[in-house]
Amino acid sequence: MSNHIDTSAYSAVTAAIRSEAARLLAGGEVSAVIGYLPARRKGSAQPAIITSADQAAELIFSPACVNNLAVYLTKAKKEVPKSGRIAITAKSCDMRALAGLIGESQLQRSDIHIIGLPCPGVLSSVADPSALLTTDTVASKCLECEFNLPQGADFTPAVNVTPPRGPSRYAAEIARLEAMTPAERWSFWKEQFSKCIRCYACRQVCPFCYCEQCVCDRNRPQMVETTPRPAGNLAWHIIRAIHLSGRCAGCAECERVCPMDIPLNLLNRKMARELKELYDYEAGFEPQEKGPLNSYLEKDDQSFIK
Amino acid sequence: MRSPGKRAAVRVVPDNETKMQKHISEQNLKALLDRLISTGTRVIAPRVETGTLLYGPIRDASQIDLSRLPRRSAKETFFPVCEDILSYEKHGQQVTVGDVDPARFAETVLVGVRPCDAAAVPVLDAVFTWDYNDAFFLERRRKTTVIGLGCTTADDACFCTAVGLAPDSSTGSDLFLTPLKSGGYACQICSEKGERLVAAHGDLFTAADHAETVPFATPSPGNIDLKQVKSWLDHHFEDPLWDEIATRCVGCGACAFVCPACHCFDIVDEGTEKQGRRRKSWDACGFGKFTLHASGHNPRDLQPKRYRNRIMHKFKYYDDKFGQTLCTGCGRCIRICPVGIDIAAIVEDISQRS
Repeated sequence: MSNHIDTSAYSAVTAAIRSEAARLLAGGEVSAVIGYLPARRKGSAQPAIITSADQAAELIFSPACVNNLAVYLTKAKKEVPKSGRIAITAKSCDMRALAGLIGESQLQRSDIHIIGLPCPGVLSSVADPSALLTTDTVASKCLECEFNLPQGADFTPAVNVTPPRGPSRYAAEIARLEAMTPAERWSFWKEQFSKCIRCYACRQVCPFCYCEQCVCDRNRPQMVETTPRPAGNLAWHIIRAIHLSGRCAGCAECERVCPMDIPLNLLNRKMARELKELYDYEAGFEPQEKGPLNSYLEKDDQSFIK
Repeated sequence: MRSPGKRAAVRVVPDNETKMQKHISEQNLKALLDRLISTGTRVIAPRVETGTLLYGPIRDASQIDLSRLPRRSAKETFFPVCEDILSYEKHGQQVTVGDVDPARFAETVLVGVRPCDAAAVPVLDAVFTWDYNDAFFLERRRKTTVIGLGCTTADDACFCTAVGLAPDSSTGSDLFLTPLKSGGYACQICSEKGERLVAAHGDLFTAADHAETVPFATPSPGNIDLKQVKSWLDHHFEDPLWDEIATRCVGCGACAFVCPACHCFDIVDEGTEKQGRRRKSWDACGFGKFTLHASGHNPRDLQPKRYRNRIMHKFKYYDDKFGQTLCTGCGRCIRICPVGIDIAAIVEDISQRS
């Protein structure tokens, strides 16, 4: 059953981020603010990097502000200057990515000014930007969100928001896949990966896919088949799932942007569960230098080595 | 130079009363497709596959879903996402190279093609026959009959009317269907190929009467003048606009891959030293490695230069070479861009600048 989500908070949040961004830019505290601007299509929004206090009056926060803007602070986005202090608007889910990037020495906390966004939820990838936010049209990640008020931001508008309530779609889907036989599960993923056209939208929006040279782009020698065919597609998505284990903070951008509707975040959520179970570790709001898959301890379980 | 209306002039059959028209009921359209499938013709139509609406081969007519624009365009009917172009095997010093025989491509009927997708087919014809005749493309093209379908709905990403097309354009279609209010379709015969198909299955068509057609959609794009766009592009290879857009662009290939007209491809050898295949697959100007030379030099080394190429190719280079625009206004790139880049808004902005 579809329930409306209370979106009255968006206008208050919008007003607060406008004045904060204007203050920061006018006072020279930051050189740029990464936020959202309205776009041409009804209800739509797009990421923007603004540098003048005048432009701050155009910033918005709405259910169409789906992007995790942390990607613009990574070295993969060479067009965005990384010198000086930059402000970024961030939902709770985006703040985990910022913490991860700080933990991996990709960002200095002192170089960023975080404007936290109290968030009642954003639209899913299949919803039209002008769609009404309901428990049907809300992004799956929002139904699992426990932190609608960002923690640890430099500034968070004092706006109360009610989180969307509904059954977790990921938990249900993971349970369904776990109940399958390995052969059934293999056929599920084989079918999903066969849809991949290797547009790399998943990689390009991921805050943690900042490798200077992606393994998929290596051609001397070729490490992974680059053509959109079963072998290379499978290799690519498995490499990515493993490489993100313990790092992926669940922003679900990969899944949102996939033009072929591959449920990529299911892989990431499953891996996150495994890491929680095996190492009692999760990618959270605290910057952590090393996750379990890139550290070595004498007491690590060796029993799988035969 | 071309005006927005010029594309209509290349229609195979002029839009006047001499154009033959028939009617076909929904049931008979399905019967036609089932008959074609049972006699070995490959029928490609919009159908849901693993949750996504795509043009693809159907097993029977019940699979067809004409409710909306498929996620990817119909270009892959002629220009697949990936195809083998040769195979090789090495035994000792003996190397055997195996060619792909285009004669094995099946006779095909492509049905339910929206005007923005059908119009892209002649756009691709020009490229694949320009300095080299692409045997793979041409053989598929020769063997395919295109049944277009007029649009009765549009969203705010649709902008075909801004690039010289319309929801009732039959450009690129051999037969063109228009939904009737009473059910079924009016069927315009737009080419000899279309005429042959109707003649071979005449029992399924009826003479056209005065049944009313469902009104066509009325997309409302902004104020775009392609002539003005082109003349601005002619003089703004260097411009801060390219940096502005590229700051937002994350450099994926989604826009090019859903585009009905983008046609860049890459060729790679995959396999082992002993045996393997040479494959041709879609490439995209958004990628960092697009046009990377073997020397290590890349003339489009930064995202602004790559995004500039996307706009220049569509609204200037292709026009310079072939006298029309490499964009049919389907709006797919607008709907799927991960960061909301809106080509219609960009082109409108350029149009206002000149």
